Amino acid sequence: MKKRTLVLAVATLFAVCAFSMTVLAQSAEMKLVGVITKIKIAGPAATTATAILKDTKTEKLVEIVINDELTLDKFKDHRIVEGDEIRCKYKSVDGKNVSNYFRKTAGC
Amino acid sequence: MKIRGLLMALALASLATAPGLAEEHPGRASIEASGYNGPSTCEECHPGKAKELLSTVHWKHASPVTNVDGLDAEKEYGMFNRIYTMCNGNDVVNNLKEIPVNPETGKSKFTGCNTCHPGNHLSDVGSTGPEAENAIDCLVCHSSAYDFTKRVPFKDGKGQVVMGQDRSTAAALAVGRPAAKNCMVCHERAGGGIYVKRGFEFTRENDVHAAMGMTCVDCHKAQNHKLPTGFDPNTWANDGLRVACSDCHGAEPHADQDYNRHTAKLACQTCHIPRTGGTMAKDFTRWEQGADKFYEPGTIQAEANSTKPVYAWYNLRVRNTPHFIGPDGSRNDGTSKIYPFKVYQGKAFFDKKSGQLLSMDFAPPMATGDVLAGVASAASTLGIKDYEPTPGWQTLYFGSSHLVTKENALTCFQCHTVGGALNFKDLGYSDAEVAKLTNPETYVTKVLEKQKEEW
Repeated sequence: MKKRTLVLAVATLFAVCAFSMTVLAQSAEMKLVGVITKIKIAGPAATTATAILKDTKTEKLVEIVINDELTLDKFKDHRIVEGDEIRCKYKSVDGKNVSNYFRKTAGC
Repeated sequence: MKIRGLLMALALASLATAPGLAEEHPGRASIEASGYNGPSTCEECHPGKAKELLSTVHWKHASPVTNVDGLDAEKEYGMFNRIYTMCNGNDVVNNLKEIPVNPETGKSKFTGCNTCHPGNHLSDVGSTGPEAENAIDCLVCHSSAYDFTKRVPFKDGKGQVVMGQDRSTAAALAVGRPAAKNCMVCHERAGGGIYVKRGFEFTRENDVHAAMGMTCVDCHKAQNHKLPTGFDPNTWANDGLRVACSDCHGAEPHADQDYNRHTAKLACQTCHIPRTGGTMAKDFTRWEQGADKFYEPGTIQAEANSTKPVYAWYNLRVRNTPHFIGPDGSRNDGTSKIYPFKVYQGKAFFDKKSGQLLSMDFAPPMATGDVLAGVASAASTLGIKDYEPTPGWQTLYFGSSHLVTKENALTCFQCHTVGGALNFKDLGYSDAEVAKLTNPETYVTKVLEKQKEEW
């Protein structure tokens, strides 16, 4: 009985740790400034899009998934286009970099 | 109050179904048959509208200004000719142009304050006559299908810089009342970047009016293309029309009379706009090089909606000195109310001889980082020959009239507590008055009753 309780406690602890690590991994927010090299959006009714940004510091290409309505609208009417420099914050969710902040650095 | 609420709900419901961008605009067959030929197509059904627009602030970027200290009553002021440290330039010194090439990349680019002007740049800010009327970009404000790849500057065959326009039939077939996005094309990126200047996002999550499906022009209701505005101490130009919360909400907007009593001394924004954000400071004496090797003024930016406002008495007149532009007013002048402001501080060059702020042409520093070349170029444009540039700071108070919340509005104990939202001492109250104002005695019964109701 004691052994079973111990096994159960260890298993529970392991599960809690694993869950916590998953949550931590998901919640770590990353940010970069980069130039858009490619925008992929499937027509005017699209509810998601991807943009590839070239990180200005590392020059690495980072693929970002964009789901927010305002940014999608800016892709659709070309207020944001390839070549624009973007300030982006994103989180890794299920292996994808999902944007929660995607704004042009340029102004007037 | 209930009746007013019902009327408001009905009005909003009718707005949701009113002819807007999503609904078909009359004249479709004509546009499909003849194509879109610029304002002359619009004028077929809306005669006189092009000429009308030429007299507005959107076209002139200036107007007579009557509530700001030290201005010439005979002149017009606005983005066309103003100098302050949010922009440090204006349409005159920073006219849209191709900047000198960057020595590291050999590349140039187009830039200028008037890139948002709804003309074609050949007919520019304040221009008049038939050519100007025909240059108006009606669709950038009125179409929901505008293709912004076409609204970019380019050089024509004569070497003149032209601002492109989308005059396609597709864009013309999507005309209607301006949606928020039409306004935000320019207004969200004023001052050098997205949400830099006033630092608010007009979105469903952040503004109760946006959440109800309202758009900018539901409050800023245009009359003959003139748009009513508020009294932001740093928005000088106006079309002579004003907008206020009380236009819709009346003088006694609350069911609770204790709250209504506050409206004698507090602007609505004070309780209902508890956040601000955006750029807090810029340094025009120091430009930072970006990844593209061009330079931008050093900018310290808080996130939109992320900072606390500063509160001050404001009688709707503006104190305007070289080192301060902000609200005039006091507790005792009989007309002031307490308003929330976003405080911004900008560093730029002042003329040691006159004490006045100097302007800067951005083209030289953007290309090479040479800020004094920018000052020299602006001085040359403005005919200033004898000056001595010296760095200094200017403090600006920006009005805070968007980002309205009902749910998160300030309540009794958020102000009437020690260390609360309002600094009563700074607002001119005596120690004895502050002690009384921050004692729960004034609201304890009311809040306890409210807690019972809520829980």
